Amino acid sequence: MSGAGDTNLSAQLTRAVARALGDGASAVLATIVEAPRGVGAKVLLEEVGGRTGTTGDAALDDALAEHARAFLASHAEARTLRVGEFAPALGEWRDARVLFERIEPEPRVVVCGAGHVGAALARLARVVGYRVTLIDDRETFVARERFPETGIELVAAPNWTDPLRELIGAGRGVSVAVVTRGHNEDEECMRAVLAARPDYVGMIGSRRRTNIVLARLRESGFDEELLSQVRAPIGLDLGAVSPEEVALSVLAEIVAQRRGGTGRPLSEWRRQK
Amino acid sequence: MATIPQLELYHLIEEAGERGERVVVATVAHTRGSTPQRRGAKMLFFEGGAVAGTVGGGCVEAEVWAEARVALRTGRPALHRFSLTADEASEEGMVCGGTMEIFLDVWNAQKT
Repeated sequence: MSGAGDTNLSAQLTRAVARALGDGASAVLATIVEAPRGVGAKVLLEEVGGRTGTTGDAALDDALAEHARAFLASHAEARTLRVGEFAPALGEWRDARVLFERIEPEPRVVVCGAGHVGAALARLARVVGYRVTLIDDRETFVARERFPETGIELVAAPNWTDPLRELIGAGRGVSVAVVTRGHNEDEECMRAVLAARPDYVGMIGSRRRTNIVLARLRESGFDEELLSQVRAPIGLDLGAVSPEEVALSVLAEIVAQRRGGTGRPLSEWRRQK
Repeated sequence: MATIPQLELYHLIEEAGERGERVVVATVAHTRGSTPQRRGAKMLFFEGGAVAGTVGGGCVEAEVWAEARVALRTGRPALHRFSLTADEASEEGMVCGGTMEIFLDVWNAQKT
């Protein structure tokens, strides 16, 4: 039985966490918090399959790995469950409780296009607590003088593809808003972005204009299921008019996607009697 | 005290380990009712006396500090229940009333 109490294991776990986060990947840390034995024992279960640490019981480790996948698919940051709730076959552990914690890179918003909407979205996302990268192919649009606030990374890129791939990495915790000035730029961004599969992809434009871009992507072989996930036109229906309002509707959609919200009014039930 | 980004949090634990310093990691494991912090919120207590992060303000923090000092000494992790009854909360002028379970884990427990 080895908890994080063991200094070597602590070091192995912290290094494994740092490595996963550095790669832009997710993991689950499962810790026994209440049990007749083994309190503090923990396993780090990486989304890509790696495991660090053990509860000392291989069957329990396997059950934790199995449930970790379901936990990652939920939107919870942390949840404590009785083993009996997710692995009823493990009789001796039935009443033990395990804390599952999501290990995930800091949520980031990558904004492609630094026009009025892109600039407003970058500033708003920063205020709400996201790390923000704003990228444009026009250097003057991403000049530091335009964005004196700290915490907005600015990228001037004559070619969108390579910096986008690098910025998105493994894509966990990353939301990408494609709000460039034209079809061709949107399409170039979408090609790089879709290949990297971030958690959220949205593209600005009317239904007609976004259909044109999506049709071109379909013709060049992008998977239909992947394309159907794209939020295009981007944003929630707030009736937004100004660039700042549009940015709010986009950020609202990004938050709803990340937290598992519906985007519907919380008061709706009052009118449904 | 603000929340700490995960990468920084685990980096702080690792650095403490390199100094041979124990860290108690308090994590909000479960909540019922209206509580001042979300599940998963963390606060670190270093053997040297430093702290980082928060598990939720005056309602429970004093009790968590006391338990963390015990855990730093004994090296034994344990789950603690804190109830924030509406009465206590309103006396303190705070907006909590519920129960919180906070797990106090001990990292780098064994001295190298």
